Amino acid sequence: MTSYCSLLYLAAFLPAVVLVYRILPQRLRWVALLAASYTFFWSVSGKLLVFLLFSTVSIHHFGLWLSAEQQDRDYRLAAAAPAERKAIRQRFMRRQRRILLFASLLHVGILITLKYAAFFSTNLNTLLHALRFPVSLPVPAFLLPIGISFYTLQALSYLLDVYRGTIRADRNLARLALFLGFFPQIMEGPICRYGQTAQQLWEGRPITWQGLTFGMQRILFGLIKKIVIADRLNLLIKTVFNDYALYDGGVIALAMVCYTCQLYMDFSGTMDVVIGSAEIFGVRLPENFRQPFFSRSISEFWMRWHITLGTWFKDYVFYPLSMSGPLKKLTGAARRRLGNHYGPLLSGSFALGVVWLCNGLWHGAGWHYIFFGLYHFALILAGSLFDPLAQRVTGFLHIDRNALPYRIFQIVRTALLVCVGELFFRANGLRAGLAMFHTMVTDFTPVSFLNRSFLTLGMDKQDFIIVAVAVGLILLIGILRERGMSLRETIASRPVALRWSVYYAAFFFLVIFGAYGVGYVPVDPIYAAF
Amino acid sequence: MKKQIALLIKSSCFLVLLCTLMLAASYLFMPKNNHKAFGVNDAEMLARGILGERENSIDVLVVGDSEAYSSISPMQMWEEHGFRSYLCSTPAQPLYDSYRYLRQALERQSPSVVVLETNAIFRPYKLNDYLLSRAKNLFSILRYHDRWKSLKVNDFGRPVEYTWTDDLKGFRYNPAVAAASTKNYMVPTDAVTPIPALNESCLQDMITLCQEKNAELILVSTPSTINWNQARHNSIAAFAKENDLTYLDLNTMPKEVPIDWARDTRDRGDHLNFAGAVKVSAFLGKYLQETYSLPDHRDAAHDSSWNDALGRYRNIVRG
Repeated sequence: MTSYCSLLYLAAFLPAVVLVYRILPQRLRWVALLAASYTFFWSVSGKLLVFLLFSTVSIHHFGLWLSAEQQDRDYRLAAAAPAERKAIRQRFMRRQRRILLFASLLHVGILITLKYAAFFSTNLNTLLHALRFPVSLPVPAFLLPIGISFYTLQALSYLLDVYRGTIRADRNLARLALFLGFFPQIMEGPICRYGQTAQQLWEGRPITWQGLTFGMQRILFGLIKKIVIADRLNLLIKTVFNDYALYDGGVIALAMVCYTCQLYMDFSGTMDVVIGSAEIFGVRLPENFRQPFFSRSISEFWMRWHITLGTWFKDYVFYPLSMSGPLKKLTGAARRRLGNHYGPLLSGSFALGVVWLCNGLWHGAGWHYIFFGLYHFALILAGSLFDPLAQRVTGFLHIDRNALPYRIFQIVRTALLVCVGELFFRANGLRAGLAMFHTMVTDFTPVSFLNRSFLTLGMDKQDFIIVAVAVGLILLIGILRERGMSLRETIASRPVALRWSVYYAAFFFLVIFGAYGVGYVPVDPIYAAF
Repeated sequence: MKKQIALLIKSSCFLVLLCTLMLAASYLFMPKNNHKAFGVNDAEMLARGILGERENSIDVLVVGDSEAYSSISPMQMWEEHGFRSYLCSTPAQPLYDSYRYLRQALERQSPSVVVLETNAIFRPYKLNDYLLSRAKNLFSILRYHDRWKSLKVNDFGRPVEYTWTDDLKGFRYNPAVAAASTKNYMVPTDAVTPIPALNESCLQDMITLCQEKNAELILVSTPSTINWNQARHNSIAAFAKENDLTYLDLNTMPKEVPIDWARDTRDRGDHLNFAGAVKVSAFLGKYLQETYSLPDHRDAAHDSSWNDALGRYRNIVRG
């Protein structure tokens, strides 16, 4: 089982789990979910399941250790004289930090070793070679357990939340195992917090008619995004990105836009399948997307795209760094010298830089991922730096920043900037990304569109039409959502004939126009590789 | 309880209607003939040529992957022995597809012998692919959905009628030569390559189907230095013995099938070329006719189609 969009998952695995879950009494339903989760993990990663088990057991242990320290501290504080309390707090804070550091190093260390060791070794070897050192490090090649980048972040968030006192350490190992390994989210997230899902999963909520039907509708919606749009676009994308040197800037720009569309439809479509699957069990997972291409700035884009990753970095990297002693001092000094806008911006940009470096690296071991992260860092920083200037210019020109034309300009500008970032993200390495960008800028020509040779890149005219129709529908649904309309509830309130017609139409749209079968290569969910 | 029964009835109605619509759409999207001009894909077309053969006219049916269509020439066997054979083989054919072709062919044909080329037995496949294949058998729209691009008004009312057949009867002529190394070919060993579990179950289905249709299932391993080895031979030999099947491993019969690996392969031992196929077909044709007393139809006055096809075959293979 390599995909949530496979027939094996949708027609066999998920229904079987639903059936077993439904039959079991409420108190045992967590067993069905946990067994299904581990079966799912094993079916994808086999023996690498041991890594998930290790992470689960270790965070359980570290959580209890932190909790024991906190209890000990509270006990001593209660017994201590007021003058001693500060020292006790500091002593226990240091002890907890050491535990947390040890646990974080262990989990991040495993992730770095498995995911980045080859990247670091290769680059180190290149450096040593350049410095003429006659040494060459071995380049290890490890198999990655599925979802390690996702469940490691979940594990760390659990420990950090226990450390901060936001949640209490869970004594129940099975509940923690389910929180970390819940099968719909293990492969691509969303990255959940313990407080969001652990109890929901454990409760064994009943399968309701609404949960079942709404869940299936959400799955169907996601499959259309993934199989009709993303997988069809893949035909053109792989042709152009694999042989980019053969094409002019116009074609590269087309491939860039197509890839951005593919990535969104692939990831958000899979998220729909994931969230829909959980919804069937009465579990509400956090949303990962909120119409990102309606964003008016890059900062807003990242509040709407891969939301759970963005909030993770914000809560566990950006804020702790911004609030750290040295940066607080820097902020104070900078504020005095540069004023209230640029002062905090200078110190905040350090924390922001670290966040985006981590974000880029999290996506994969490659310079183009690092470039992708730093590109977004630069855009966000530039946005903040030039915002006062932009306000003055628009004010001078009497442009209403809230008027529709200006909003559309901002949306298009943001989308284009995102597309450029995704070009580097998809390129086969940083060098290829730079070469493609160079071609796009210096050799942009509409010739391939005028002589219709773009129709020979893997997608014919009909493919483009069906993608345009499907994207148009998704866009329309996005606009309705932006206006606060819940499409599923609106449809559910209509007469049965209309309702069923919509469901059948959506189903046949998927079956007929899906890019699967002979002539198509199955495309594994893109984010599962991260 | 009453509410639950109502929901059950409602969902059943929804599903029944969905299945009905899927069947209707399947009929609409199904190619109405077995030629690629009607929407059959290139890879399948030659194998589906059997559907255009006269009913109950085929004596030997062959299923398998590219090893089969590279090694066995039905037209040569017709020319030399007069029995009709057809290859339902496709590139990288998984065993569940071999079973599907076999079942489809046996609906209209009653061959005395069914030959399974054994290379497909060791081709592993994912459970998802198998499920998808089963679903496609049930609702052919899943197989032919991409015909939305070429759907014509005719497709809505036209009956299904298979009229096309292949002059080479599924064989693919390839005279190219790329010599093979025989360094590690059929090195003696007692090792046994296990047959993947899903394939073993598929083999049992094929055995049952052949028994039901009174056809003798035989296993044939055609020569290949890349795909075949002693461990695979041991495995198939044991399986054949266990299930009382005839097994011919042409890799172990250099006297009967004297393959010259410097000349008789088109891709360094992966597949035979035409020269290799001539040797295999000469042996296999003789063996099948002698063992199963297959009839000689060459002089059948009522059907000259195979003799006509033979003329065209000769033109192809003799340039």
